[in-house]
Amino acid sequence: METHFYLSLLPEALIVSMLSPEEFGTYYAVGSSKKSRGQAMFFEVDPNYRNPYFHMDEALKRCVPHEDGRPKASIYVSVYRVLEHIDPDALLDLYLTTQDGRTLGLKASDELPENGSGLHLYQEVVPVTPLVVSRLDPVSFFDLIVKNPTSLISVPAITFAELQLGELSSDPEMGMLNNLPYSNPDHLRQCLSDVKTKYVSTKMVDRTHSPVIPYRTIKNGFFVGNRDKLRYYPMPHADVLRIENYRWFRSANM
Amino acid sequence: MDYQIWLIVGIAGGAISIAVAVYLYFWVLRQDPGSEKAQQVAGWIRSGANTYLKRLYTALASLALVLGIIIALIFSFNFETIGTTGVQIQPGMGAVMAACFIIGALSSAVAGYMGMRVAVEANVRTATAAQKSLQQAFRLSFYAGAVLGLAMVGLAVIGMSIIFMLTKDSHAVLGFSFGASTLALLAKAGGGIYTKTADIAADLVGKVELGIPEDDPRNPAVVADNVGDNVGDVAGMGADIFDSYVASAVAVMILGASFASAMQYKYTVIPLILCTIGTFASLLGIEFVKVKEGGKPGAALNRGTIITCIIYVAALLVLSFTKVIDVGIFWAATIGIVTGVIIGFTSDFFTNDQYKPVQETARVSTSGSAITIITGYSYGLISIVPSILGVVVATLLSYNVAVNNGLPGIYGIGVAAVGMLSISGMIVSADAYGPIVDNARGIAEMAGMGQDVIERADVLDSAGNTAKAITKGFSISAAALTVLALFAAYAEVVKANGIDLSISLREPMVIAGVFLGAMTPPLFSALLMLSVTHNAFDMIEEIRRQFHEKPGILAGTEDPDYDRCVGLAAHGALSSLLLPAFLAVGLPLVIGFLLGPNALGGFLGGAIFTGVIFALLMANAGGLWDNAKKYIETGKFGGPGSEAHKAAVVGDTVGDPFKDTAGPSLNTLITVMSLVASLFAPIIAVFHLF
Repeated sequence: METHFYLSLLPEALIVSMLSPEEFGTYYAVGSSKKSRGQAMFFEVDPNYRNPYFHMDEALKRCVPHEDGRPKASIYVSVYRVLEHIDPDALLDLYLTTQDGRTLGLKASDELPENGSGLHLYQEVVPVTPLVVSRLDPVSFFDLIVKNPTSLISVPAITFAELQLGELSSDPEMGMLNNLPYSNPDHLRQCLSDVKTKYVSTKMVDRTHSPVIPYRTIKNGFFVGNRDKLRYYPMPHADVLRIENYRWFRSANM
Repeated sequence: MDYQIWLIVGIAGGAISIAVAVYLYFWVLRQDPGSEKAQQVAGWIRSGANTYLKRLYTALASLALVLGIIIALIFSFNFETIGTTGVQIQPGMGAVMAACFIIGALSSAVAGYMGMRVAVEANVRTATAAQKSLQQAFRLSFYAGAVLGLAMVGLAVIGMSIIFMLTKDSHAVLGFSFGASTLALLAKAGGGIYTKTADIAADLVGKVELGIPEDDPRNPAVVADNVGDNVGDVAGMGADIFDSYVASAVAVMILGASFASAMQYKYTVIPLILCTIGTFASLLGIEFVKVKEGGKPGAALNRGTIITCIIYVAALLVLSFTKVIDVGIFWAATIGIVTGVIIGFTSDFFTNDQYKPVQETARVSTSGSAITIITGYSYGLISIVPSILGVVVATLLSYNVAVNNGLPGIYGIGVAAVGMLSISGMIVSADAYGPIVDNARGIAEMAGMGQDVIERADVLDSAGNTAKAITKGFSISAAALTVLALFAAYAEVVKANGIDLSISLREPMVIAGVFLGAMTPPLFSALLMLSVTHNAFDMIEEIRRQFHEKPGILAGTEDPDYDRCVGLAAHGALSSLLLPAFLAVGLPLVIGFLLGPNALGGFLGGAIFTGVIFALLMANAGGLWDNAKKYIETGKFGGPGSEAHKAAVVGDTVGDPFKDTAGPSLNTLITVMSLVASLFAPIIAVFHLF
């Protein structure tokens, strides 16, 4: 059986598995006999990638089918500071699994999203999970967090997604929230007003925010990178998802 | 004029209606049943619905047999002569009453069964037709709904006409109506408990706990949920309107029978003439229900209803000019039908997301479920106002036009009720269309049909929900007028047995009766809703057990056990009916025999008033909460997953047994209680403790 390495984002872990990405997503979200359930996000990692930080070959040796022939679902290789030890070029597709186990694969794009006007909302996923608002576009935000040597707050590598702000992007005070399910909207409006009118470019909205993302709120897509490289995984438009991935789209819109 | 010819016309009209229903049934069967997968899913639903109906009708057959024997025994004795010649034995009368009762029950069952049979065949064909076009899917589902509508009015008109033609006794038709109503009450209440048990359990575990979308085949309760649409909304609603339709006509027939002997026959037959005209109007009106590709199905359904009304009123006008019916009857019937339609559409105001009540309830949901409940409940209470005003206006106007044309005012009120319900063929056709397209959507989802099919099914389903809301307002208001006429019929029967009914609030027995009557609809509602929560709790445990013991269900590698949930819902629904059935049939008798005819009159009055108010409140508040949730799901106030949505889901869950279990059963409850009182009035007039 073919084996795969997966970089799970929820929680951050490197896993080896004999399941295909779709099977792994379903297993991870709903199929565990341990009854642990929920949304899953993971990258498939190049099977040839090796880093001495991880005991990948040892894990591969342990990844054998069960006695009854069932494929081994998961062996955890590492659960701490995983992302920063993986070369972004080794990351293949990103998979988003809904809480009921439907999986969507996203491919990396060579082009970064165009800089739009207005404010931004970012959900950091790995290694920390705050929800932040910013005047900075995604690339500038990434640079601030990962590359800026003068910043007090920085991480060696990061995965984050830009979320939709709708009318709040240009009009935090009066804009309509419409289809955006964010809790505590008044606080969100205040934070957006602050970054719009005050000196700070970025402000934390929720320091304990769950990294579980309502997928329908993703604006551009996911960004992952370290000091050397930034990769971008664009999210298809809702209309495209509705037509081409109806089952996933429906579950993601629950 | 020889009015007996109208009985033959009625039988002919009913036969044509049934013939068209049968033709449409086979037309539906000839349509493409779709892919193997779709047929497999439809097969599960068909099998579950058949299993439930088999159990329901087996239980009801036993009940009908027992009640039939009791009726045969009681009506074999003529107690009216007890003071003069003593009790006379007349076994023929007992046999006739029992036969009429059983025929009524049988007709109601057949109407519901036909509707359900066609619904479980039409659902998969509608989904398949939706793969081609909205137009074809709409035509198929509406014609399938028309099978129930036309079969129902056909059976009712034929049944009433033949019984009256053979017996010349409106009291015998009352037995027919009692049979129909008793079965309708239990079919509606049982179906309502079934459908909401499955719906709530499927949603709470599937959607809320696990995030599984609606109609997902991994949910063990999904088949029971779809079966519930058929047994609750098709078979139950078919039996329910059958009962109101017959009861309104019978009430007027009994009032007509109290006229001077020279006019007695004419005024007893007139309600049957009105029903016959309504049947023909419905047959014609159905032809106008068409939608073009990209058109609006809701508008097509409304157009059909309005055109049917116009045809009906025009036909009555012709009958009035030709002196077949009096001018007073023309006006009373016209007032009834116009008021019915207006009330139906005003109910829509409170449950349609284009208007303030639903939008406001959705908006306040951002502050949590408590505010959602309070707001929806308050709008539900306000929604009583237009319907009650409509009933008041119809009552006063029909009373006065009757009096001004030389007829008893109460007869005019009864005619207004018949006028309202006479186009039931069309109304039920539009109503039965709803659960068919709802099922079609579920089958499309479970069978993995394309997104375009599901979107078409959504458009059809949305129109079905509106039709359902209109029908509920219509049927509750019609029931209100019907029971007023039945109340008058009860007074007439008591009077014929030597007691002039005195309903005065200075009489302690009357006060006791009013309070006991007012208590009954809330108690009945509570029993039904507690049955739903009790059964839903059991089913939730079963669904959780299946997910726990078979993790592969969610992963899609194992099949759920749909039959367990279907069986639980059926067993729970049927075992919950005993006490509600006693309240409907037994309590009026207990009140009558213990406290006397005046107290029973007060009891009916109390039950009618709280019954109508509770029915309107529950139907409209439930519909409002449901649509507030759907409104948020269209992307308002945060959309799905938002705090507002979570609060609205709570409101919707609370409203489910309101609108689909307790609310729709209440009009049948007050009809059955009124019929029991009228049927047993001659005996109660003789035997009562106080």
